Amino acid sequence: MATYSLANERLRALEDIEREIGAILQNAGTVILELSKEKTNERLLDRQAAAFTASVQHVEAELSAQIRYLTQVATGQPHEGSSYSSRKDCQMALKRVDYARLKLSDVARICEQLLEN
Amino acid sequence: MAQQRALPQSKETLLQSYNKRLKDDVKSIMDNFTEIIKTAKSGRKAGEGPSRWLEPAVWIQLASLLGCTAIEDETQVSRATQGEQDNYEMHVRAANIVRAGESLMKLVSDLKQFLILNDFPSVNEAIDQRNQQLRALQEECDRKLIALRDEISIDLYELEEEYYSSSSSLCEANDLPLCEAYWRLDLDTDSADGLSALVLASPEPSAGPLQAAAPAHSHAGGPGAGPTEHA
Repeated sequence: MATYSLANERLRALEDIEREIGAILQNAGTVILELSKEKTNERLLDRQAAAFTASVQHVEAELSAQIRYLTQVATGQPHEGSSYSSRKDCQMALKRVDYARLKLSDVARICEQLLEN
Repeated sequence: MAQQRALPQSKETLLQSYNKRLKDDVKSIMDNFTEIIKTAKSGRKAGEGPSRWLEPAVWIQLASLLGCTAIEDETQVSRATQGEQDNYEMHVRAANIVRAGESLMKLVSDLKQFLILNDFPSVNEAIDQRNQQLRALQEECDRKLIALRDEISIDLYELEEEYYSSSSSLCEANDLPLCEAYWRLDLDTDSADGLSALVLASPEPSAGPLQAAAPAHSHAGGPGAGPTEHA
């Protein structure tokens, strides 16, 4: 849901880090593959190696920041908040709507029977 | 500026372990990658002719980019043996890079789990937003039900009038309409217990006449609809 902005923002950042780790491994593989060739593409080597180094440093910085944030906000206590009460109230409201619909269908059926008779 | 909270030992140890894992994995990736480059460079120098070598300038640039130092090109074993050794070493180092990458992915997964369980600001916000959504949905349902009740009560009044005045009614001449029957019972008993028993006996919103005729009752219907109120 797009409404859980603060909660999703950090999780999305961690997902981006995961993708970047995959890119790191891919860059490393590309460099090694290029080195294995007889005639290497120098420009590609430079570019991939620079991207590899930058990605590794970026991943390290981001993960360090996340760990630093968790050190600040973690309390060690379990979170005891819950949305159960509002969920229950909403469920009862939906039950009321279903019940009203059921009764209306009964009234409609009775009216049709009387009209047929 | 940010004071360190008094975390339980387990949490603090856990976060320190995360830091250590991060440092170790990043170091492993960098070291193994640079060693592969060094080994490839030394292998090329001992290999074929200059036309197939990489330009020294590019090697220098790549080595400087990765912080590599000069490599001795003298070996104590034959070229084939050295080649095999380099090949095996590269395999092992590549496997180490992949293992370190996988360990980093596991670390990210653990951090996600820790974040979900212990990031109280975001958990509080998520709970508040969920409560607001559910409350809004509940209010909308109740609002529509009340509007529906108001519309249905008008139609039920007309239906009841039609039913009791039509010749197809199954009730006898001595039979009273439902509302009249209830009022008679109320006069006979003349007690609040009897009335509450009636109210409890017919809680459905389709009991329009009763609901409309007794607007003072503390029923779920609330104030009765005006047109349906009997004299």
